[in-house]
Amino acid sequence: METVINEYISQELIRDPGLLPLADETSLLESGILDSLSLLQLVVFLEERFGIIVGDADLLPENFASVNTICAYLRAREPEKQAARG
Amino acid sequence: MAYLLQRLLTEAVARHPQRPAIASNGSLLTYQELDQLSNKVARALLRQGVAPGDRVGVLAPKSVPAIAGIYGVLKTGACYVPLDPKAPAQRLSYVLQDSSANLIVTDEASTSQAVDLVGTAPEPRGVVVVPSSARSEGSGQLDIAVAGGAVILSGSAVAAERAEPLAEERAIETDLAYILYTSGSTGTPKGVMISHRNSLTFAEWAADAAGLSDEDRVCSPAPLHFDLSVFDIFATCRAGACVAVLPEGAATFPVSIAQWLEQERVSAWYSVPSVLTLLACYGSLGKFDLSQLRTVIFAGEVFPPKHLARLMEELPHPRYLNWYGPTETNVCTAFEVRPGQAEAGPAPIGKACANTEVFAVTSDGRLVTQPGETGELYVRGPSLMRGYWGQPAKTREVLVQHPFRPEYDELVYRTGDLVSVDPAGDYSYVGRRDSMVKIRGYRVELGEIEAALYRHPAIREAAVLPVPDELLGSRLRAVVIADDADKLVRQSVLDHCRQWLPSYMVPDVLEFRDALPRTSTGKVDRVGLARE
Repeated sequence: METVINEYISQELIRDPGLLPLADETSLLESGILDSLSLLQLVVFLEERFGIIVGDADLLPENFASVNTICAYLRAREPEKQAARG
Repeated sequence: MAYLLQRLLTEAVARHPQRPAIASNGSLLTYQELDQLSNKVARALLRQGVAPGDRVGVLAPKSVPAIAGIYGVLKTGACYVPLDPKAPAQRLSYVLQDSSANLIVTDEASTSQAVDLVGTAPEPRGVVVVPSSARSEGSGQLDIAVAGGAVILSGSAVAAERAEPLAEERAIETDLAYILYTSGSTGTPKGVMISHRNSLTFAEWAADAAGLSDEDRVCSPAPLHFDLSVFDIFATCRAGACVAVLPEGAATFPVSIAQWLEQERVSAWYSVPSVLTLLACYGSLGKFDLSQLRTVIFAGEVFPPKHLARLMEELPHPRYLNWYGPTETNVCTAFEVRPGQAEAGPAPIGKACANTEVFAVTSDGRLVTQPGETGELYVRGPSLMRGYWGQPAKTREVLVQHPFRPEYDELVYRTGDLVSVDPAGDYSYVGRRDSMVKIRGYRVELGEIEAALYRHPAIREAAVLPVPDELLGSRLRAVVIADDADKLVRQSVLDHCRQWLPSYMVPDVLEFRDALPRTSTGKVDRVGLARE
């Protein structure tokens, strides 16, 4: 999961080649990688790739701070996904 | 009445020196403090040899140093040229050289970028660093460093300057106040020259139209190089209101913006529709107390009706104003969207502002008078730009003789925007006459992106097309024909673009092909490409 998200951000969202390679713990906010537009692109990608809906209440700095926190957020969403399926 | 932009500040100080002028990062700057800080900047610039009519770069995000820097530049009789700290170095360097600016006003954080940049000017003179607070203590002695021929005046050196106003005005109302660089179809940005009178015409109308008073707290997230920022800097000052500066971190998350609006009790907001769309869709607006918000203004592109309807449903109490105007004319028409009107379709751009005339001309040269007719919008009035910096031929293409009034001395501006008129006399935007598109409100000439792609040594041909996007208006798709296409990687093309273009102009989608489709006349078949 980390690799998929890291690759997407590295290839699609990072505008400044000086920020590559991207570490999973790098702050996506302080480094300026995520702005309102790229955040939205990322949300659309996550929704399609992982079959979830990111609600507006989840669109928070703590969930999107780094590749690691995004993965933690997605893992926390796993049980409800299964519940929805079951 | 003020006849120079900096007089707005002088008048606000005379009325209420202790009222807040800028709220930024949790601290307030009063009008008196802003005035005194800008006097210090003006004196520092004079020490650097600035003369009336000079161009001075301002490299900083919207903040206390940027706004004090702008007033400081104006007080010297020079005009300011906003430089976006986030833009690629090549583009900034082009703007600096094109405007022959050899001085840069900046903040502490952008100092090293400013020093590097000023070094690319033909005869670099210096950098003036504005301290972030009016209460900064000067060091008493002049703190000057020299780098590559350019003199750097540090924040403490500027703080040590005298705070009294300069003895006399050094400009008249037809002198330039600022030059805003906007995308150019032939591959390089062009500088729109705006005089004090041009800008004041807008600022005075805008403060009235938005009903601003000295109680208001005004926010526009638009950066300085975007003409929407003229509203929060100058119309706010004209009303004696307070500019609330949206922190960069808060701008990323719609919920953070909503939370910040509540916390700062923002009462007037001006932005492109895409920011408001994100707020409406992802801002959890119902959770916050935004009862202070009285006026929401949008401009720069068409607001998708369904998102505007949703915003007006979530926040029913503010007035909603749709303003229209290219950088070259300032805002020239306005329309107030009433409750229940948003669903009906895109909001009209409305009727002409005070002191302004607009009319539309059909492709066969007749005046548009009837609903259903479409024509190009022309604008006349004191808000029109002086021209494009250093480009008289380009200026003559757009500032033209009034088509129906050959006896008028005054020129009119051809917007290139196609409009129609409804029975109430309100104009509506229909489309463009050329290949300019809007990305998040920014003007983008597809030709400038293509020119950047052609600079890549392996790229033989390129065509850039706008792709309509539900949430953001348009995205950009580039179709590229390259030598050795197998070896040319996507990343290298994007990296190349990022060296030349601001991020909103970098293509979102890149396609490699063997050939571009052609029309029977041999031109690139853009219509065919767009249909694929």
